[in-house]
Amino acid sequence: MIELKHITKIYELNRADRVVALNDVSLSIKEGVVLVLKGASGSGKSSILSLIAALSKPTSGEVIVDGKKISKLSDNFASVYRRDNIGFVFQKYNLIPNLSVRDNILLPLVPLNLDAKDAEEKLALVMEMFHIAHKANAIVKNLSGGEQQRVAIARANINNPKIILADEPTANLDEKLSLSFIEILKELKSLNKTIVIATHDPLFFNLDFVDSVVEIHNGIVR
Amino acid sequence: MLLSPEVLALLILNVIFFLFAIIAFILSVKIFLKWDLNSTSQAQYKLEKQSFLTATIIKYIFIIKVPLFLFFIFTLDKISGLLTGAMCAAGVVNATSYGTYLILLKILNLYLFAYWLALHNEDMKHEHQPYTKMKFGIFIAAFFLLMTEIILEGVMFKAIDIEKVVDCCGAIYSSSANSYISVIFRLKASLLLVLFYGNFLLIVIFYFLKKRYIFALSNAFFIIISLITLISFFGTYIYQLPTHHCPFCFLQKDYYYIGYFIYIFLFIGTFYGLLSGFLRTSEKEISKNYKIALLFNFLYVILLTSYPILFYIKNGVWL
Repeated sequence: MIELKHITKIYELNRADRVVALNDVSLSIKEGVVLVLKGASGSGKSSILSLIAALSKPTSGEVIVDGKKISKLSDNFASVYRRDNIGFVFQKYNLIPNLSVRDNILLPLVPLNLDAKDAEEKLALVMEMFHIAHKANAIVKNLSGGEQQRVAIARANINNPKIILADEPTANLDEKLSLSFIEILKELKSLNKTIVIATHDPLFFNLDFVDSVVEIHNGIVR
Repeated sequence: MLLSPEVLALLILNVIFFLFAIIAFILSVKIFLKWDLNSTSQAQYKLEKQSFLTATIIKYIFIIKVPLFLFFIFTLDKISGLLTGAMCAAGVVNATSYGTYLILLKILNLYLFAYWLALHNEDMKHEHQPYTKMKFGIFIAAFFLLMTEIILEGVMFKAIDIEKVVDCCGAIYSSSANSYISVIFRLKASLLLVLFYGNFLLIVIFYFLKKRYIFALSNAFFIIISLITLISFFGTYIYQLPTHHCPFCFLQKDYYYIGYFIYIFLFIGTFYGLLSGFLRTSEKEISKNYKIALLFNFLYVILLTSYPILFYIKNGVWL
């Protein structure tokens, strides 16, 4: 269960330059739900994702995930929370271009010091699940956009997180690849993962497996 | 003013500490007065960010300050060569009326700063930062001691007059001197040794009984009794001279810098001993603190004991 209570997020570059990204936003997302955050660029969708991922802290208000006040965590504990609970899929994939597919996917396991056998088992599982096993040794920069997105989602899932956050995941994909990505999300939903997607891609708004669509406009939930 | 490269380095560092400590102090007061982790207000989130910055500033001041104590002693020892009459750091300490107070304050601060670091480390291990208010409160108090130390250090170096003839350690730490320190040389060695080994025995007993408060208390006593016994009794065996009681000469090359080991063992041993009583932490951590305290106190006792024993084996007599 994810709860955002009276969240305000202000980006303050200096006293004159102040952007209110979220204004008293309250939102509740139940476990296993797929929620789409809909809104134009700059509406505050990504800010909500980064707050849920504990990548940033609110200016005021509270973010609670499974009863834990994650907006109150110090950086060290926020990292552990993220590692154990969150899989993040970014618009630009955020992969390391000169590493192979397998090395990119394995990255989140590095801090866990798993033994090689366990790591390989997890790797094989996600590569199979997201249909990227045949490219295991390919260098990421040589892959197509769709393939890179599959690598990104495999990396996001290698720790088997409960929550998947996707920030404009289809912005760089054509319609065919976007539909294939949506199929992957459907598969993740069947595994009872909580999925929050920030997007303005109309493809997401009428999907049968999406539980709710929340519209954000200028930092306010409608 | 005496400005050797070492003194210059200390003074420059002090200026840096001074400036950063003032920033940390202002923020610490704010955090100490307004901290409420349960609040979700904008002010509290700002304080949480500031507390991280402030704690980092304090941490690095203290992380440098603690080992810098040894460098300070080394500096005193080094500049003793410039003062007529001084044979070691003792002459420099005694060259001005501030030296002794500065050394005592530095020892107090050493334990206090190390305690703050341990408290901060413990605080960062918990999600809800239970010691945040306490650690900033302690820093507010420590700030004044730090400032006093910095000012006193500057004043001391400024007051050193290289034209002036100073006393050597032989005269300062002599049983015939008229200072308060000379009183301890008149104490019977047998009494001191009973107190010294008795105190260590208590530390061992309380280690096994796991009585943390008494264990800490016995470590506090051990600091005092160890220093007195070191100066009054063991020092004479390190120098192999029955009349030489200087607590600084054995820091020199002639004695293989053994003084640094002696003081490091004593500091680490007693510090962790005190920590086991004064820091609420997990059983695992307390047990670790107990072990470190016992190990270093044991090393200290063994090291000091070896000097009279080896002397006796070599010469067949006691001093």
